[in-house]
Amino acid sequence: MKKTLIKTLAGITFAGLVVGNAMAEYPEKDLQGIIQWGPGGSTDTVMRSVTPHAEDVLGRDIIMTNKTGGVGAIATKYVNAMKADGYTLLMGAENPQMYKVLGLADIDYSDMIPINILARGTPIFVARNDAPFNTMKELVEYTKNHPDEIKTGSTGPGGLTSIMLAMLKAETNVEFTGVPYDGDGPALTALQGGAIDIMPAVLGAAIEHIKAGRMKVIGLVDTQANDLLPEVAPITEEFPSFNKYLPWGPFFGVFIKQGTPDEAVEKLVDAYTKAAEQPDFKALMDKRGFSIMNVSGDEAKQFLENYRSVSSWIVYDAGFAKHSPEEFGIKRPE
Amino acid sequence: MLEALQYFSMAWVSPQLLALVALGTFLGIYVGAIPGLSVTMAVSILISFTFSWDINNALCLMVGVYMGGVYGGSRTAILLNIPGAPSAIATALDGFPMAQKGEAGRAIGLSTVMSVVGGFIGIFILAVAAPSISEFALTFQPRDYMMLGVMGIMLVGSLSGESLTKGIFAGALGILIGTVGLDPLTAEERFTFGAVELWNGINPVAVMIGMFGLSEALMQLHHLDKVALKQKLDRIIPAWADVRKYLPLGTQSSILGTIIGALPGTGGDIAALMAYDYARRTTKNPKVPFGEGAKEGLIAPESANNAAVGGAYIPMLTLGIPGDAVTAVFIGALFIHGLNPGPMLLTERPEMFWFTVGNLTLANIFVLIFGLTGIKLFSRIVECPKGILIPLIFVLSIVGAYAINNSVADIWWMLGFGVLGYFMKLYGYQVGPVILGVILSRLVDDNWRRAIISERGDIGEFFVNLFSSPLSVVLFSVVILILISQFPIWKVMLKKRRSDASRDA
Amino acid sequence: MAHTQHIYTKPGETLFGFLMVILSGFLFWKAYSISGFESLSSPGALPLAATALMVITSCVSCIQNLRLPTEVQGHFFKEILPPVVAVMIAVIFLFAVVLNTLGFILTALAFLFLTIKFLHRSGTIRTLLLSAMILVLVYVVFRLVFKVVLPEGIIPEREIMAVIVDLFNSGAN
Repeated sequence: MKKTLIKTLAGITFAGLVVGNAMAEYPEKDLQGIIQWGPGGSTDTVMRSVTPHAEDVLGRDIIMTNKTGGVGAIATKYVNAMKADGYTLLMGAENPQMYKVLGLADIDYSDMIPINILARGTPIFVARNDAPFNTMKELVEYTKNHPDEIKTGSTGPGGLTSIMLAMLKAETNVEFTGVPYDGDGPALTALQGGAIDIMPAVLGAAIEHIKAGRMKVIGLVDTQANDLLPEVAPITEEFPSFNKYLPWGPFFGVFIKQGTPDEAVEKLVDAYTKAAEQPDFKALMDKRGFSIMNVSGDEAKQFLENYRSVSSWIVYDAGFAKHSPEEFGIKRPE
Repeated sequence: MLEALQYFSMAWVSPQLLALVALGTFLGIYVGAIPGLSVTMAVSILISFTFSWDINNALCLMVGVYMGGVYGGSRTAILLNIPGAPSAIATALDGFPMAQKGEAGRAIGLSTVMSVVGGFIGIFILAVAAPSISEFALTFQPRDYMMLGVMGIMLVGSLSGESLTKGIFAGALGILIGTVGLDPLTAEERFTFGAVELWNGINPVAVMIGMFGLSEALMQLHHLDKVALKQKLDRIIPAWADVRKYLPLGTQSSILGTIIGALPGTGGDIAALMAYDYARRTTKNPKVPFGEGAKEGLIAPESANNAAVGGAYIPMLTLGIPGDAVTAVFIGALFIHGLNPGPMLLTERPEMFWFTVGNLTLANIFVLIFGLTGIKLFSRIVECPKGILIPLIFVLSIVGAYAINNSVADIWWMLGFGVLGYFMKLYGYQVGPVILGVILSRLVDDNWRRAIISERGDIGEFFVNLFSSPLSVVLFSVVILILISQFPIWKVMLKKRRSDASRDA
Repeated sequence: MAHTQHIYTKPGETLFGFLMVILSGFLFWKAYSISGFESLSSPGALPLAATALMVITSCVSCIQNLRLPTEVQGHFFKEILPPVVAVMIAVIFLFAVVLNTLGFILTALAFLFLTIKFLHRSGTIRTLLLSAMILVLVYVVFRLVFKVVLPEGIIPEREIMAVIVDLFNSGAN
């Protein structure tokens, strides 16, 4: 016991001396993971289920902290204000890709290093069970005959639902009454209570309710059918013009500040790649309707760029962007 | 039936699970008691911590933390006037005055017993009526939530102290504070003065720690040399006659708490405030006036917020819809452990229901045990010399504010509202209505606007739909009734007519 | 604290009342600038209603104040803001200012030592021990048990802890 105490004291003195020296071998202390969204949300859940595996590879703890606010902008800015030493990770969703055009912040993921894009969600349209339409075509026809009568949930400009509604409007020119909710969870609850008629959502958030028959899927915004919804045809069959946007969807990723030493980036990429290969993480994602991506480097950058360009231009064309994507050199998708 | 009993008692007969529930409850009481540490936060930390565990072990620990945490908030509310969590705000209103009279031990004893009573009623309702209550909860429309919020705001009238005018001012200020930030519905900036740090609004907990904790500690500096009051430490466990006397109020508050807890848009904090309001309206002649240490003012919120725990589980277990912030994290935990939280959960894993009910019951028993054992030690905190106690409160307030979102900005808010609260108290304003406003602001604002937007801005349509729904009609009548009893316009009119009549004669 | 209607104006009360009127007016104007009187469901609707109530009620209490006897009982810096309160507010303010640069451990230790010394007036060694004890308690609960990462400032806490953990691990092997 005494010996340990002496060792500990020696350790403290030693640590005091070491500080300021160059990194001995990364990681030499615990890391901090800043989650953009609150506890219990999908970003939080995904990050908390993949990170323990990455900790095993790194041999250090990653202390995860929720830092919410400004649709994730506060966490993004916070991580970018820290030292680029590889000890502060940003765990986020797709939102920062819209910061520039919406005027929320002057940074997005293109200014950071992607460690891993873990998974992508599939966007769908759901409707309450007794709604008088079963497919997107029927929805569009019904809405044209009954203008403004259909109530849809929405989650604020620049959010996933607003982009999906803007896409639909751009292709079919329909108008809905948008009832705002602060998240797809509360909106899907309201859908079951009959307060709204349709809701654009991520498959993962709605899948259990669909399986239980508490709401119905009317559209799958993807180019091919989904294993979890075998009987629903992809939206491109009814509206081929959607092809130019797809594949598109919300995603979850781990990022780090630009300028982080290569050694740290390599080790982190390795840790998260191995973590996302774990069978239990994969099973988890599959069951919730998230497609595993597990990409880093250029592949990740390309995916991020595509998301940014599609979403920015949609939002700009729909008229609720503060700045033109051109100002930031964001190219229009072909 | 036998199967249900078997699942119910799973944690009762396994020493390991039993120990985990006990440990969780114990930790939970401290999480709840320390301002700034929330149950939501603790449960999400436990998700990472129990990642590789068996799911039953993990759930036992988390359920314990939840139950203990909701109860624990009352501790610091009674002893130091710093509610450990928003659900204990109403507890501080009468609990702290009791402690100041040397009755801290009795207040804690009574609140423990009534919390446990509330907990059991919540669990009982969960066990027997979960499916029908969750379907009922789903029928609440935005206008109904809005009316619930309005009912809560009427409480301003009874929290105003010396002057209703000042009370309304404080309540309106609270509502305003609640609207700061990016509007959650349209992302419009409200009172942000261009600062990104303000987008997420001002955290209610920071306001609460400042207005209650810091301002109270600053007030205490006026009487530094006054020797701390000796606490009476006999009769900590409330007499059976007392419990029986307050049982009807406790039961009614618990039923109210369970329903509010089961609604997906409201949680224990609102349940406790509404129960406090209910107690004030229904108690005709309290032995001690409300606000000065009325036992009724302690019993109602404490039984309601613990009953809300059982309530919050109702939509979560049956439909996969969280009843409050903590159950939202529980859904995440189930998901990580490979279950499918949702309406199919109980079809796929029928044992989960009775297992959870059993754990909750067990945790509630541990609340009673742990709650009643440490009281003497805790009550001594109040006897601690002020020169040491006040710096301790300051440090706790600062760290607590920081811990909310790991940011120094919340310390600034805490300090700012602490100083404002200090002056307000000295000049005859009450701080209770401010907190009330902050907590209810979003509920009223969001749902009022949702309701109006759903009717496409047509007020006439709004009332037509209101009167065609029985639930809305009931809620609307309650609002009107409270309004009439609160601001007795008719009494004034009657008086005037009488004086007119006498003049004629 | 009894909530009896006071019968004379407390020092500074009139000024406080005026400040509240000005604050309410300013906030009302700010609320108006969110979306004007556009519609009942606009983001500015509830803020407008709340600030309007604030303006009315603050004016009413201000007028009620002016009606009360104006004789000043006691002095502002004695009855309302005694030096000890002002000093404490200033010290907490300083705490928040230096927290990020100095780190939690140093700031809190200094804060506890100074305030306990100032308010409790016991011996230096006793005060130091007491502050250290409280600090350890707070640190263990917040940082170690509940993983609230408090600002580290100039003390490299994570490095120290890593060294300690490594030592234990190598000892175990």
